[in-house]
Amino acid sequence: MTGGRLHPFTLLAIAGALPALAWILPAPAGGAWTATVALVLTLTPGASPGLTSTGSSPGWRPGLVVLRTAVLTAAPFWLFLLLLHDVPTTIAIGLRITTMVASFVWLVAALQPARLVEAMVAAGWSASVAYLLAATLSAVPVLKARARRIVEAQRCRGLSPGGGIAARLRALRALALPLVLSALHEVDERALALETRGLVPGIRRTPLAPPPDPAVEQAARWALLLACLFALFRRFV
Amino acid sequence: MSIRLLALIPVAAAISLALSAVVDAVALPLFLDTTGTILATALAGPTVGIATGVVTSAVNTLRNPTFWPFVVVQIIVALYAWVAARAGLFRSFRTAIPAGLGLGVIASVTSTPISYLVFGCTTTGGIALTTALGKALGLPPLGACFFGSFVSDFGDKAVTFALVTSVLHALPRRTAARFPWALRAIGAA
Repeated sequence: MTGGRLHPFTLLAIAGALPALAWILPAPAGGAWTATVALVLTLTPGASPGLTSTGSSPGWRPGLVVLRTAVLTAAPFWLFLLLLHDVPTTIAIGLRITTMVASFVWLVAALQPARLVEAMVAAGWSASVAYLLAATLSAVPVLKARARRIVEAQRCRGLSPGGGIAARLRALRALALPLVLSALHEVDERALALETRGLVPGIRRTPLAPPPDPAVEQAARWALLLACLFALFRRFV
Repeated sequence: MSIRLLALIPVAAAISLALSAVVDAVALPLFLDTTGTILATALAGPTVGIATGVVTSAVNTLRNPTFWPFVVVQIIVALYAWVAARAGLFRSFRTAIPAGLGLGVIASVTSTPISYLVFGCTTTGGIALTTALGKALGLPPLGACFFGSFVSDFGDKAVTFALVTSVLHALPRRTAARFPWALRAIGAA
């Protein structure tokens, strides 16, 4: 089964359990094992943005893109670790960080936010919680684009973002203030839109197309939790 | 929680994440990634502030997974900002900037153990380099890690507090009055 077809909660459980095990299991063997599993996951066909391809379709090539992203994200940490620590410590911490990075890069590639929201609503989570994540994810690129427009507009008016620290701080204020104030003025519009759509805090919604959650996956999630607890018990008791 | 405060949380979290575009434009060594948390707390209290901090960390984690362990710092920032808002410390730069410097110390004390135990003090290139500088100055490993976190957090939080103070004072009174804590935070109620 590919990452794209797994239930969103299962994807989250795997991405959470691997870093947890990397820190719990003795280094460096534990970290090496979890880092290998996490890096292999980035090669699975489902781990490609916007794709839920199966083995018969060209899913491996995007998978390599995900692997490359994970490796490039983890690489600077190895460099900084070598700068600050000896080789055994670098390997121990580096493998743990690589597990964490690869797990989350895989998760972001395999997890579709819309499916997560449907799964959360189907599981009885408040629609407000699902809204918070989805609304923030959609608001960030909008505000970033607005920030770039404000920077360009202020430059047209003669604002120079260079010079000494005091001049740069004044420029920062001139750029940040319009962005933050315009965003705050949107709060009322958003509140009105939410009320119009019936998203009142505490209300339960009916999911349109909840992702299937087979008993096998539910059992696998419990098994992951128990594995982490057992490893923790073995490590410290 | 009212629907307006619910709508404020994603907006405030997005502000924290979008300000990086502004910081890039002025090329200052700042994060400003707690601006939304502090602003939401000053406007609407600790519950909204903590929720904003957690959502900010969760969304940031999807971009860079090393952010998640620092969710604790966002929660402490929200609690500190609430105390500052209750005391009306956002009334002027003269009170806000020292409060921000205090938060810088608290944030670096909080983030140092996480950075040291989880990442070996390698959370960002800047922190790794300042930690290396601390080691070169003869500090012990944990002390060097604190030095790295302190250098990055101290000025950042003071600027963040000053920015939030500017925003609160620039808000029209009618808009500010719609949020439960805004007027008290600037000492107007």
